[in-house]
Amino acid sequence: MKALAIGFKPSDLGEALAVLNRLAEALGEELEANALIISKEPFKHGGFHKIYHVKTASLYNSIGSIYKVMDDLTVDTVVSPNIKDGVDLLGRVATKIDGFMVTEVSSIEKIDGDVYLARPILGGRATAYYRYTPGTLFTYTVGKFQPIDEAGEPDVIEVTTEPGSYTVVGVEEKKRGAVDIESAEVVVGVGRGFRSKDDIKMASELAELLGGEVGCSRPIAADFGWLDEDRWIGISGKKIRPKLYIPIGISGAPQHIMAANDSKVIVAVNKDKNAPIFNYSDYGVVADLYQFLPVFIKVLRERLVK
Amino acid sequence: MDIAVLVKASLDVNLVRGDAEGRLLKEAIPLAISEYDRNAVYEAVRLRDALGGKVYILSVLTWGPTQRRMRDFENVVREALALGGDEAHVVVDEAAVEAGPKATAYILSKLVDKLGGVGLVLCGEASMDMMASQVSNYLASYLGYNSVTFVRELSIEGGKVRCKRDLENYIEMVETELPAVISVTGEINKPRLPTLLQIRRAFAKPLKTYSLSDIGVSELPKQTPTKYELVKVSRKNIIIEGASMEEIASKLVDKLIEEGVLRR
Ligand SMILES: Cc1cc2nc3c(=O)[nH]c(=O)nc-3n(C[C@H](O)[C@H](O)[C@H](O)COP(=O)(O)OP(=O)(O)OC[C@H]3O[C@@H](n4cnc5c(N)ncnc54)[C@H](O)[C@@H]3O)c2cc1C
Repeated sequence: MKALAIGFKPSDLGEALAVLNRLAEALGEELEANALIISKEPFKHGGFHKIYHVKTASLYNSIGSIYKVMDDLTVDTVVSPNIKDGVDLLGRVATKIDGFMVTEVSSIEKIDGDVYLARPILGGRATAYYRYTPGTLFTYTVGKFQPIDEAGEPDVIEVTTEPGSYTVVGVEEKKRGAVDIESAEVVVGVGRGFRSKDDIKMASELAELLGGEVGCSRPIAADFGWLDEDRWIGISGKKIRPKLYIPIGISGAPQHIMAANDSKVIVAVNKDKNAPIFNYSDYGVVADLYQFLPVFIKVLRERLVK
Repeated sequence: MDIAVLVKASLDVNLVRGDAEGRLLKEAIPLAISEYDRNAVYEAVRLRDALGGKVYILSVLTWGPTQRRMRDFENVVREALALGGDEAHVVVDEAAVEAGPKATAYILSKLVDKLGGVGLVLCGEASMDMMASQVSNYLASYLGYNSVTFVRELSIEGGKVRCKRDLENYIEMVETELPAVISVTGEINKPRLPTLLQIRRAFAKPLKTYSLSDIGVSELPKQTPTKYELVKVSRKNIIIEGASMEEIASKLVDKLIEEGVLRR
């Protein structure tokens, strides 16, 4: 099996190698892995036959050159991390090589001799299985495959940039704090149950006490702007996998909870005993957050210092 | 400039149904307009009001059985018309059911051809049910149009479209020439709920239904999942009860210590 892995940053290659090894193993075939790096700086990683490098941070500056690499290399599959540029790129390549694409593959399964790519659908409520055949490209969920680090320094082939029919006219930084809720050990989730921006202080206090970060549902970031977008948890925001997630005043819409289902323990606080969030929780507290949180913080403080 | 908007009648993710054996009961899940497609329609209407032309609503029914889905499907299309679309062109054909994003894009390309081409195609960045984000790139490729994805702001000037792409870590400004297919994010605008009058008017707008053979499609590049499975959520679902907030808080702390998730 001959494959091409797309990499935007160094950690992508170890993960891609894990994905491709898993696929080759399921198929019972030898793997020849190649990589295409789209990044200002090249990076090296063992385990690859050839590494191509397009020197640009922007996919839209490099679409022409990527097509050139694809002409140069006949592969059975192309894989990319499931980030927006990766999804965009594979959609383009799939039409270019007359293949198919599967978005956001979270596992590769062998069932009755056939190999399947499994992905979440319906807001994470169901899984769809697609049979893998050569010519199927896919993006994989970041964090689901244990990266493989392999020594070795394959040659890097520089590819000149060719934007095709697009011009990148600039880049804007996003408004953000310096938080990374995706790797936080504890996350306290703020939902519409909070009545004002000021009240979020309670959640911050709790998060600090637990050594964690504050995250939120979409309306808190997108509609009210009470918290920055990098704290927004959900299918259109960040995916989290902490040891402990505490959604407070969050109803438990599938678009939100799907991105938190990898949490080890979930504790929900909601005043509505029928809120769907309780179905997705290990422990639930049916209470008004304004009554419960101050007490919870006080009790925690007493117990934690002891 | 005429604009086509792709609107999907999506399975309603809030009303997912399954049986005790973990089978997904697709046919029992009602259809709803795919949320981001409402943003796409709203954006198209804004552009039309500034630049003139028509807004065509295009849709392919991809969940079956088509016969039983017709009322739901028409509601979705009428909703898009109520949001300001001028006329709707839709494809209903059992062969298009669960045929996958490439087949859907191919059908849509034939529908755009039927309209004699358009200056711009807009759609949501992903459908609510499948979230594959593939149709826009496939469609652009079939039509030979340019394609820009994940756009949260766009403006059109002199045959060019300037887009702000909303990426994970930054926003990228990209320019390309029309005709183009653009997928928009939920942040591009805030669609207002249609008024009763708009809803009533939507019923008087043209809605034309085609079969695959009507638009000259005989073979489809199909990609259908082999199977679906319901995801089991295996959480403990324990409600902590107590006579006072203190008691509840204390019991909860006990549990968290037991689980080993508290930093001590
Ligand atoms: C296309 C699309 C994408 C989306 N993507 C995301 C996403 O990425 N992330 C996301 O979060 N959402 C997303 N959503 C929105 C999602 O569907 C929900 O609307 C949203 O998650 C609801 O946020 P919430 O739970 O904070 O608010 P609500 O649903 O309004 O829930 C508020 C909850 O607070 C409780 N409450 C109220 N007052 C109190 C109180 N005093 N004490 C305790 N509890 C109280 C209520 O009982 C209720 O359960 C998306 C929606 C669409 C259509």
